[in-house]
Amino acid sequence: MKHLKSINAKAERLAQAADGGDTEVVMMQTVVAGCTATFDPGWEVDPFGGVAALCQPMEADLYGCSDPCWWPAQVPDTINTYPDWNADAPSAERDWRLLQTVFPGDSK
Amino acid sequence: MVNGMKRAVLAAGVAAVALTGAFAAQARDILLTGAKPNLLVVADAKARKVIHSWTLPGGGSPFAVVPSPDGKVAYVVTNRWEQILGIEIDTGKQVFQANLSMPEKNERVKAMLAVDISPDGREIAVFESPVRMLSDHYEVQPTRVTFYPTNGGMDAKPVRSWEAPRRTAQMMYNKAGDKLYLISWNVEVHDPKTGKLLETHALADWTLENSTPPDVFGVWAQFETSGLYVNPYFAMRTDSAPDNPETYRTGMVQIDLETGAFKTTDFEATSGIIFSAASNPVRRNEAYGVYTQLYKIDLDKGETVKKIDLPHTYYTVNVSTDGSELYVGGTMDDIGVYDTKTFEKIGAIDLPSGNDMGTAWVRVVQR
Repeated sequence: MKHLKSINAKAERLAQAADGGDTEVVMMQTVVAGCTATFDPGWEVDPFGGVAALCQPMEADLYGCSDPCWWPAQVPDTINTYPDWNADAPSAERDWRLLQTVFPGDSK
Repeated sequence: MVNGMKRAVLAAGVAAVALTGAFAAQARDILLTGAKPNLLVVADAKARKVIHSWTLPGGGSPFAVVPSPDGKVAYVVTNRWEQILGIEIDTGKQVFQANLSMPEKNERVKAMLAVDISPDGREIAVFESPVRMLSDHYEVQPTRVTFYPTNGGMDAKPVRSWEAPRRTAQMMYNKAGDKLYLISWNVEVHDPKTGKLLETHALADWTLENSTPPDVFGVWAQFETSGLYVNPYFAMRTDSAPDNPETYRTGMVQIDLETGAFKTTDFEATSGIIFSAASNPVRRNEAYGVYTQLYKIDLDKGETVKKIDLPHTYYTVNVSTDGSELYVGGTMDDIGVYDTKTFEKIGAIDLPSGNDMGTAWVRVVQR
């Protein structure tokens, strides 16, 4: 951890664990859990291992998660890099066909 | 003479009561929320109708909506979280603007979710996350709370600022206005005038026996009708097997914004997800949680009283000032109205635009 500087409380805890010799690796999950752990939003599983507790429908959650960069790897970041990604699609359920893939050249 | 005076005083009293009654009869709950692309939505709660959809300048989308104490102006965090706009609710006229980023310092500043207005309506406190944008690298700066005067006009400048814990997701004044609560890993209480740390309530650092630290989420402010801030937490018991459903606990963080009382209450073995919660202004032991289900929780008994499935997921729930109705919103284009006692769906307010509310808050003001 010599070359990394902790900038938040979670990182500090990781650094403390490493400094304290706590190097045991614990597998966090055996299934894809959580909406940022998969590249297909809407196809993750819920905390109970099922799908019933996911956002229903997935479109209800799309902008709630993409606008605040909750899914930074899965959908374009409208806060900084691709601010107009969903500008022509103000309703995810109605307009999702207008959402396009983005490429680095499209960024702000 | 004395009797005459008594009669006069009595008559004046009756007139005052009558006036108060008349005002109360006329006062109505107005809902404020945001929708894409950059709309401030104003709805008459009882009429179940949107009465204004004001288009805000800039590139959207609204997130935080903070009403002034007199219910006349809505302060909206929008434009990629870099501006706070003040909009007159009745006219749509913009009366305030604070640009959080500071190009002269190469500093891009985002309002990261937590924002509130002082009870006297004079200042807005906002939690800021600054990044210095240098030509060859970015430098993450310490997060901070910054204060803007509401009379700052269209180019409001900050008057005070100090460092605040990273991951502060909610912030609210107490009723007296002399304390500012910052909900982060723990709950810090700051003096809003001096920045002095008055007290800390432990969450991530709690010492609850046989429990992991709680995971506390919640980025929606909806405490204005009850004055009681409630927010769900999730934790695991460490003295129980991982495959035992009772191991996983859901509880509620409570802060009474009048007395300052802080409390956490475990109310169930986690049976669902709750994104945000609000409490009843009349039956203050009653809290409601929302996500794909709507929960009723008895905070005194520490138990889930009722749970129903909703037509779709909602992020927010707020309560009418008389405690009789719930307004569930966020995500899509409708606000569901539910009876607080029966959980019967008693109405809906559809946004004429049909556009998503996304993460926008739903606030209640009386007009």
